[in-house]
Amino acid sequence: MRNFGEWRWGIGLVVAVLVLGLPVPQPQAKPQERVFRVTARQFAFEPPVLQVNPGDRVVIELRSSDVVHGLYVEGYDVEAVAEPGQPDRIVFVADRPGTYRLRCSVTCGDLHPFMGGKLRVGRNPWLWKGAALALWGVTLALFAARPRTREGGR
Amino acid sequence: MTARFDVLRYPWVRRLVVSRWPQYLVRVTLLALFLLAVLVGWLGTPVGNRNFAIVGVWIAWWAVLILVAVPFLGRAWCSVCPLPLPGEWLQQGSLLGPRGRGGWSLGRRWPRRWRHIWLQNAGFTVLALFSAVILTRPGVTAWVLLGLVLLAVGVSLVYERRAFCRYLCPVGGFIGLYAQAAPLELRVKDPAVCAAHTEKACYTGNEQGFGCPWGTFPLGMVRNDVCGLCFECLRTCTYDNLALNIRPLGADLAQRRGAKLDEAFKAFILLGSALTYAAVFLGPWGALKDAAYDVGAPSWWGYAALLVGLSWVILPGLFSLGVWAGRPRLSWRRAFTVLAYALVPLGLAMWAAFSLAFVAASVAYVLPVLSDPFGWGWDLLGTAGWAWRPVLDGWLPLLQAGLLALGAFWSVRTARGIGAIWGWPRAVYPVAGYVALMTGGMLWLLLG
Amino acid sequence: MKHSHALALATLVFLFTGVALGPVRRWWRNREVVEIRARMPERGGFSPKALTVPAGTPVRLRLVSDDVVHGFAIGGQDAPVVDLYPGKPVEVTLTFDRPGTYTFYCTRWCGPNHWRMRGTITVEGPTTPEPTSPPPLYVQLGLDIDAPHEATVVPQERPRAFRGQRWASRIPPEMQTVEYVRTHAPEEVWLTLRALPATADLDDQQVWDLVAYLWRQATSREALAEGARLYAQQCAACHGEAGQGDGPFAPQQVTMPDFTDPAWSFGASPALWQGKVLRGGMGTTMPSWGLIFTEEQTWAVVDYLWTFSMDLEPGFPSTVP
Repeated sequence: MRNFGEWRWGIGLVVAVLVLGLPVPQPQAKPQERVFRVTARQFAFEPPVLQVNPGDRVVIELRSSDVVHGLYVEGYDVEAVAEPGQPDRIVFVADRPGTYRLRCSVTCGDLHPFMGGKLRVGRNPWLWKGAALALWGVTLALFAARPRTREGGR
Repeated sequence: MTARFDVLRYPWVRRLVVSRWPQYLVRVTLLALFLLAVLVGWLGTPVGNRNFAIVGVWIAWWAVLILVAVPFLGRAWCSVCPLPLPGEWLQQGSLLGPRGRGGWSLGRRWPRRWRHIWLQNAGFTVLALFSAVILTRPGVTAWVLLGLVLLAVGVSLVYERRAFCRYLCPVGGFIGLYAQAAPLELRVKDPAVCAAHTEKACYTGNEQGFGCPWGTFPLGMVRNDVCGLCFECLRTCTYDNLALNIRPLGADLAQRRGAKLDEAFKAFILLGSALTYAAVFLGPWGALKDAAYDVGAPSWWGYAALLVGLSWVILPGLFSLGVWAGRPRLSWRRAFTVLAYALVPLGLAMWAAFSLAFVAASVAYVLPVLSDPFGWGWDLLGTAGWAWRPVLDGWLPLLQAGLLALGAFWSVRTARGIGAIWGWPRAVYPVAGYVALMTGGMLWLLLG
Repeated sequence: MKHSHALALATLVFLFTGVALGPVRRWWRNREVVEIRARMPERGGFSPKALTVPAGTPVRLRLVSDDVVHGFAIGGQDAPVVDLYPGKPVEVTLTFDRPGTYTFYCTRWCGPNHWRMRGTITVEGPTTPEPTSPPPLYVQLGLDIDAPHEATVVPQERPRAFRGQRWASRIPPEMQTVEYVRTHAPEEVWLTLRALPATADLDDQQVWDLVAYLWRQATSREALAEGARLYAQQCAACHGEAGQGDGPFAPQQVTMPDFTDPAWSFGASPALWQGKVLRGGMGTTMPSWGLIFTEEQTWAVVDYLWTFSMDLEPGFPSTVP
């Protein structure tokens, strides 16, 4: 800790935590019902990205166009399973902002583990906080934290 | 030199690494598991997420390697890796230490013109081109694993030492580059002792152990990439002149010696493949997944062009433009080489962030597969029927954002160190821009 | 040193033997189990496709899918339907008492050629005289089920059973039987009813409602529910959830009727539809269900098909006198 006083590390960390705690403004739209007709095939959902506002009631009607597929919404822990000719639907209120992965939950062939989509609820706070945090990290490294090198002691 | 702490000062640690038994038992067990993976790949269910070859190798092993072993222990995996083991046994004519007789190897020296990691770079890229197939088809995984072992055996029978590990293993080059960021190193304690020692048992071997299997003379070692942590030198050194140090993170990266162009390129190959994998395997784009999977189809050639172009042309090209803009005092090529090591922490963070998401979604396959490795309906542990659910889904974005930010910070800091060493303080600015671009891209791919 | 090398070798042999025991155990167990693997039809469907077993002896089958979700059932039998999830083997024990040929088939949609995914089990044994069942209705009637059957008169709107119920007494009793309905097309029945003096005060649409009433009387709520279930499971992937011929696999088929089109529907009798279901298409890609559906199941599906062109259930029975 010769090159970089401990108090400076402390400030760096405190700011980092503050950055993580920053509120990310969300779209202030009146909540509404959004119905998505999602078609699953090996190995994709169509449409792949569902965009809603926080507070919206989300209806996903899942249809399959080849084999049995599932659609599991990470973070909301809801699941639909559809077979060609036998659709399924899930309804939930997207009350938490963020980007949540949609994943196929029924093994449907080789690429099944990678079949997925995204549900975007408002803005993803972690994307913006992550960007701000990285920017803070770069700034800190550029101007404050003097580096340690093998030759540093000389 | 900055702070180092030699863990060998604890006698039990010393016994643990100097004795051949712990390492042997771990390696033999891993070799048995490896054999199991090959057998299951051929005989077990072709359903990847129910097959031990896929789940054991690409989820369990990969998670341990990239999230624990490489970032914290450097080349510790190489220390216990089963791939070269059968070849080593044949080469040494022994299972457990020198027996005073030769093995069955021609013992040739590895050709001078191939003493670099370009072959490893190429091997890694080729595996990446077929990754969508290798990662999902147990039979293909089995053949790849077996092919690597046979190659290692063949190389051991013709050449001396672990030439396969050092010059050919597609994973070895990647571990070697990132091991330079790890907080663990094996180094000589007192250079004067080695310099005065005429026998150089650590390089030539004696009755206590083999000469360095990695062909490294410990005294000349300045970076972790040339040390496989096999601990032979601890066994051979008659002066107890080696230390296993805990050290600050990233200690190898900012220094004058040991920077090589082939390894610099490895840094870009790893950045390019991390971005490509995040897009292909975690992105929502089905056409991209199909392209990566349909080997030989026109769309696959598109995927290949994307991966190779990004890793070998676009990313290094962009970086060399930045190097040029930073007006180095060194030759352009040299400046490119030394500065590329600044990207190691970010690359490691990007791979860790990608792998976290990949592993969090798939780790739920591990217990069912351990209970029924072949997918034949067994239930050894009673966990075969466990349902699939992703883990960590609430914490994942925070962890990924934190990892990437940390990687960005650490990379720019390393760039400053490299700039300071070479009297080139401006070097940090292009690196900062490059790091911001890469971090932003990965954040968008993972969290957007 | 000698000892430690021997010990090292012993450890090695021990571990490798452990690994090799897996395949050995399976080989041992497989002597008493017949394994049937299921793959998408494009990759071979069931293998093996044909089994021969002795009558009266329990047969242990291990069923496993190698790619996507499949199912396993035996046609015309009450034996339970088994879902086959990829890489999760299921064992079933079956006993066939009567010699003959049985069809097993996939019950979960596994691609456009799912319906081709079938196999046979031949049960051998002393043949006992079987009770002969009468040939299906369309054969008894000598119907040409491939002939065109376009209706010449069609209603303005969907016929509704609950409305027809009001004038039910106008229908002669000999028409109010299941046999009558099954052997006549709605168009014929409408023409017959229209010609009766008893319907002189009804308009054309009201006579169509009478037709719907008759069709509703020839089935039951339970049969319609069973038909709906079977239709969703076996038919909707091509014919569409709403019977409009717009299922996900419709584009791959040669022809695809629209069950909601009265011109297509009202010119054919239930017996003719039964024939199409039982035999399947000639020159079309309609599969044959004769070996798979029981007689009741076939009629349930046929009854349900009419709900695409008539309102049989909604509002029925009417509470309005």
